[in-house]
Amino acid sequence: MTNQSVAKKKHIWDKVSEKFDIFCRKIKLDKWKAWLYLLPTIVLLAIFTFCPIINTVSMAFTVYWDPEAPVYEYDESGNILTDDETGKKVVLGYGEYKGYNIALDIAGETDFEFGFNNFISVLKYNGFIQIMKNTVILCIMTVPISTLLALLIAVCLNAIKPLRRLLQTIFFMPYVTNSIAIGMVFAAMFNIVGVNEHNLDASRSLGIINSVLGVLGMDPVNWINQGSSYWANIAVMVIYIAWNALPFKILILLGGLQSVNKQYYDAAKIDSTPPWRVFTRITVPLLSPMIAYVVITGFIGGFKEYTSIIGIFGEGMQPPGAGAGTPRLQTMVGYIYDALGTNSQGTASAAAIILFLLIFAVTLINLYVSKKKTHY
Amino acid sequence: MSEVKTETIVTMKDKNLKNVTSTQKVMKIITQVLLYIFLGVMAIIVIFPFYWMIISSLKTVAEYELPIPTLFPKTIVWANYTEAIQAADLYNLFKNTVIVGVVSTLLSLVITVISAFVFARLEFKGRDTLFAILLATMMIPGELFTITNYITVSKWGWVGNELTPLEGYGVLIVPFLVSIFYIYLLKQNFMQIPNELYLAAKIDGTKDLKYLWKVMIPLALPTLISITILKMMGAWNSYVWPRLVTTKEYHLITNGLRTAFQDANTGTANIPQQMAAVTMVSIPLFLVFIFLRKYIMKGVSRSGIKG
Amino acid sequence: MKIVLQNLTKIFPPRDKKRGKETIAVNNFTFTIPDGKLVGLLGPSGCGKSTTLYMISGLQAPSGGKIFFGEDDVTELSPENRGVGLVFQNYALYPHMTVKQNILFPLQNLRGEDRLTKEQMIERAYDAAKLVQIDELMERKPSELSGGQQQRVAIARALVKMPKVLLLDEPLSNLDARLRLQTREEIKRIQKETGITTIFVTHDQEEAMSISDIIVVMKLGVVQQVGAPQDVYDDPINLFVAKFLGTPPINVFKGSVKSGKLVINGAEVMDVPGIDDREVFVGIRPEGFIPAADGSFECNLSNVEVMGRDVSVVSTNEASLNPFVRSIIDADYKIDKSATTIRFALKPHKVFLFDEKTEERIKFEVN
Repeated sequence: MTNQSVAKKKHIWDKVSEKFDIFCRKIKLDKWKAWLYLLPTIVLLAIFTFCPIINTVSMAFTVYWDPEAPVYEYDESGNILTDDETGKKVVLGYGEYKGYNIALDIAGETDFEFGFNNFISVLKYNGFIQIMKNTVILCIMTVPISTLLALLIAVCLNAIKPLRRLLQTIFFMPYVTNSIAIGMVFAAMFNIVGVNEHNLDASRSLGIINSVLGVLGMDPVNWINQGSSYWANIAVMVIYIAWNALPFKILILLGGLQSVNKQYYDAAKIDSTPPWRVFTRITVPLLSPMIAYVVITGFIGGFKEYTSIIGIFGEGMQPPGAGAGTPRLQTMVGYIYDALGTNSQGTASAAAIILFLLIFAVTLINLYVSKKKTHY
Repeated sequence: MSEVKTETIVTMKDKNLKNVTSTQKVMKIITQVLLYIFLGVMAIIVIFPFYWMIISSLKTVAEYELPIPTLFPKTIVWANYTEAIQAADLYNLFKNTVIVGVVSTLLSLVITVISAFVFARLEFKGRDTLFAILLATMMIPGELFTITNYITVSKWGWVGNELTPLEGYGVLIVPFLVSIFYIYLLKQNFMQIPNELYLAAKIDGTKDLKYLWKVMIPLALPTLISITILKMMGAWNSYVWPRLVTTKEYHLITNGLRTAFQDANTGTANIPQQMAAVTMVSIPLFLVFIFLRKYIMKGVSRSGIKG
Repeated sequence: MKIVLQNLTKIFPPRDKKRGKETIAVNNFTFTIPDGKLVGLLGPSGCGKSTTLYMISGLQAPSGGKIFFGEDDVTELSPENRGVGLVFQNYALYPHMTVKQNILFPLQNLRGEDRLTKEQMIERAYDAAKLVQIDELMERKPSELSGGQQQRVAIARALVKMPKVLLLDEPLSNLDARLRLQTREEIKRIQKETGITTIFVTHDQEEAMSISDIIVVMKLGVVQQVGAPQDVYDDPINLFVAKFLGTPPINVFKGSVKSGKLVINGAEVMDVPGIDDREVFVGIRPEGFIPAADGSFECNLSNVEVMGRDVSVVSTNEASLNPFVRSIIDADYKIDKSATTIRFALKPHKVFLFDEKTEERIKFEVN
């Protein structure tokens, strides 16, 4: 590069900067300079972050009285009771509070009022227990499995020299993936070609996983196809989510391990500490802040699980033919989007706030437990 | 003065050291072998889906459906790829994703850099309060914003059919331009640059923007690269929002993938074709990963945010 | 336990494989450490003293040579199986364990016939804690202790399993001056009480001299001299050892020997019988000077520092290789502070001659 072009470049920059400063001074904005710089950020945040918080909270507490809505009777498991003779739903009466709805708001003929009915309808929703069950099961299975595996892999990686970088790269690969795309790969691996409800067709592929199980002498399992069981579905989800969560956890834990003072391990060697004791009494306690971190982020991720289920089961969020109503593997996030899709903004807002509170509570519990468990 | 009964203590001092050497060597080798076996098995488990994806994408449907799966395609069928592109309209999806990825990354970088600079260097009333409020919003799950954002963009008429490209891409880009986390990350990085440099530049009459461009950006380049990659990956992986607000014309890559290969009536899919599409979606990510691994890992270890 | 080092050598590979040079940290070190002695490894940083210690502990493998504990060859033995106690420079106390847990930890690792009952372990831990006088701090965490207390915990942890040998890496370097004096006496006392062969590493010659039974002076991986502190001080083998030991340091001059007389700065200062004429370096300990009006050695007086019992006379001499000549003399001698010159007689056994090229000692007969 010649001197001339450098000089020219500088010149342009100076000019831009100077013009901008002169402009600032002219409109006496010098002392507002910082706010001026921040203007785009603040405008965007106001529209897409601050307003939504206020608006979502207010929608969650907004209801209206629908005098024509039928009130049904429910049985203990939350299903609507039907009349044995006519097969019609049992109507107790008419008139009910209903949640906020943007279409009605725009139409402008509805009187909205403050109320808790959005929350009540989320909690009373007969699929809510299913959603919570899915979430809790996925969390308590994937978080310990992936954390323990990641810890073992990180410790082993830290104990070898040759091939370490290669292995480290391989273990990080699931991170740089598209969770829908790779979910489809997992679905293909567990998929049985040409399954029907009653038997597995042995003349066609049972999927690579079942083939491996067959080599190990186990019976094939209907994992995700029509007629598969809930626990088979959950098993596939747990495997996929844990596989997906490994790289981040390994990265954090390995980083933690490498920042542990080597002298503790030297001291342990001098004290003739058996490897298992080194792991439980030194490595794990010294890593406890990082372990707490990956557990907390794991739980947060678990509560927001959505796209990985879509990756494997598609937008139905359950195996084909698993029944109408709440999808078998529905999650909180899925529920929120479904509510949005049916224009039930009030319910969606209430659900989002419940999700936030749940995440907040789980984080606090985790922090409390890890404070008690991490000794320094 | 304390008392110690040294003579009663019999342990290490009198332990016989002979014969230990050879067993210890064997133990060491066994441990190393076990370590490598464990890591090797885990590595195969981790990498197997990628392998299966690629080889399945090259098989014929008939070969894929054999009861005993082949670990390598007998005949390599490249046609799966061309068919996949057509079946899923991948060209359009790729085009949309690239446009959204590039534009949103560039704009978001500008906003992030300027905001981080303001928070790191300029003094003004309410700076710390504002920043604390920003950080607090990071705890709130994104779904909570989505509900209102959807209403907002609908009011602007940015949702539905027959959108102009400006509206169609705008709805995918604008709501996510400001990332508080990236501002935070870059601000921390800027703060490490000594303030004296800024004051000296001020005395020399250097303007803010020039200082930012000439001094701070070069020094914070690694963080900026991390942010760029994570933001690009975000566009590549975004699923929920585009599905919610756009129609097929402006769908991004992930939206087209899941449904394109499913037969609407039977629910069965042409899996080799599906895998070909998935491979094509994954390969750009792998390339980025191979060349910029360092920056990705650095960014991730500080964030914990996927995409 | 007697410890034998036989041709012990440690070579570190170069950092940069293509360009760098390999470093010889320890070169051909042969030495027998008698049972129950306190040995100080002494030398400037980078002399290989810590490397030697770590090779004895087993944390670093020697590149050549052998190490014996008693009759057993432990060269190949991993640190777990050596039964040594090591006190790290930064103590390396486990931060998440209390003092008690830290001290108990090595005992809990014992397996098989060595395994103690719980009560025995606790008794032993308290014995060790009492020995280093920290038995009242047992429930604290290391972060709640002062540097000196942490150091004692580290010693207790190393001692509790009654090691064959106790190794201390710069044990006093993290302590302040007063604690250092106190702690080094403690180490001496503990070592005497337990009778465990102890090796410690230090760059502080005063520390080494004051408590060691034997000191080993090292330079650039090569052992210079081994012996009782006083012997090494009184009879240094070369200029390096002479310069390294003693505070204030020895005064070094350029000089020559001419027909049995030592000549410094043109003046014949002393008889050195039995040495041929040659150029030499002359080392004179600060306490080797006696002020005398008819003294043969003349210096330009710069300053007189009265230190109570002693007087430190600071002067200059053209032949001196140090900027100042420092002498320590008895306060009974009255020095005229206004004088410009001062004359000294020399104590022959405090004067050492060294070859000008090899810097090896040239001995002469002292009458």
